Amino acid sequence: MSSVRISARDMLYEEPGPKAKRRIRIVTGISLAALAALAAAVIHRFYITGQLDPRYWSFFARGTTWTFLGKGLLGTMEAALMAGVLAFAAGFFLMLGRISSIRLLRGLCIALIEFTRGVPTLLFIYFFFLVIPQFGIQMDAFWKISIPVAISACGVVAEVLRSGVNAVPKGQTEAALSLGMRGRSVFLKVVFPQAIRFVIPALIAELVIVVKDTTFAYVVNFPDLMQNAKVLISNYDALLSVYLVVAVIYIVINYLLNRLSDRIAAKQKKPAERRA
Amino acid sequence: MSISQLLAQYGEEYLAALLTTWKLTAICFLAAFVIGILITVMRVSPIRPLRIFAELYVQIFRNIPGASLLILLVYALPYLNILLSYFICVTIAASLIPAAFCSEYLMAGINTIAPGQIEAARSLGMTFSQTIRRVVIPQALRSSVLPLTNLLTATMLTTALASQVPMNPLDLAGLVSHINTHAVGGVMAFLISAALYCATAVVIGQIGTRIDQKVRILR
Repeated sequence: MSSVRISARDMLYEEPGPKAKRRIRIVTGISLAALAALAAAVIHRFYITGQLDPRYWSFFARGTTWTFLGKGLLGTMEAALMAGVLAFAAGFFLMLGRISSIRLLRGLCIALIEFTRGVPTLLFIYFFFLVIPQFGIQMDAFWKISIPVAISACGVVAEVLRSGVNAVPKGQTEAALSLGMRGRSVFLKVVFPQAIRFVIPALIAELVIVVKDTTFAYVVNFPDLMQNAKVLISNYDALLSVYLVVAVIYIVINYLLNRLSDRIAAKQKKPAERRA
Repeated sequence: MSISQLLAQYGEEYLAALLTTWKLTAICFLAAFVIGILITVMRVSPIRPLRIFAELYVQIFRNIPGASLLILLVYALPYLNILLSYFICVTIAASLIPAAFCSEYLMAGINTIAPGQIEAARSLGMTFSQTIRRVVIPQALRSSVLPLTNLLTATMLTTALASQVPMNPLDLAGLVSHINTHAVGGVMAFLISAALYCATAVVIGQIGTRIDQKVRILR
């Protein structure tokens, strides 16, 4: 939104004339009225069903409510971070296999990447929640949520990393090789560090998906934000207000992550444009 | 269970589940596409309240987790005396979220059009709606084939939310959880569903790439 570049969006219409201005004013008035009516209808709905009653909302003024929700949020963050780290590690190796010159390994990695990208996270969660215990393997709830979330993210991470590696100019590799560096250290010391900088925004965007997927932690009874919300609900008998607040918390966190990603992307773009 | 046992016992259920997943995906994708276009029109319109409303819509539904939205629809709406069937709840959740992403892709598609083209259309005497219909939309759609293909796959993955509510017939993810809570389905029960999801995703991807190669604007 902050970009100064004129895009097609701003060009669709020029400065409106007096007639168009009047029409815009009228439609603006109508749409304002319609949106106000919508908001009023929602609030009215809340009111007639008694959901505006203070007993559904007053406990949000208590510190204990927020420390409890905060603890759940911490659980969500821990699981999401672990899933993110695992997905990054797995994605890194998948990417290495994907760009390797060994055909069999490359084919295998392509298949694995497509598999993780084409299967819903919930299916992986059911696998760890319902299928793994059938083999007598006991697993902590923490791993039952972070591993499947990581699996379903690692394919995307691999592709993101690969796009970063491809974006590093060939001359970098050639220069490093002509300095006498070996293939592996060229990749690890010259190509990959630059590649990772290119894709940091995309990786943060993927972290948003990871945070969203950890919401399913309640399936495996891991004490995350959603699970703690359930406890609050049974304590105060207030379902609607608690789930609404929890949804807002998730939205704010993911919104901030997306903003961070956009900001880094914009920062990276600027020097590149200046050079061009 | 072996694959033959599973297919003998649950073959029909798998077929029904695959069709349910496909049906949900198709309905939700169409709904998401229509809502996405509406939201995009609002976002580029000169009407400020609509712009703000549409931006708010996109930020909310881009960032809300699917589970959170579904829970609100299924468990919280009855407190407002709004009772919806499970199928409708899943459809709404799996339409509203992809619609936000659809609008983002369409906006990106619009922004690939050089401002000069619109100036050219204006100086040829085209009206606003002519410019939109003949210059902007055709090009924006042509450059958003691949993102929309990815959106179709993402919509299919989102419909797995259906497994979180009692549905009849079950969807592909729900069937895996059903089989494994009633019998020892083992890895195979999971792999069949996973393979069906994956095959659908690969086919969608192939078709999308083919269409993209045909209609892509080479710049």
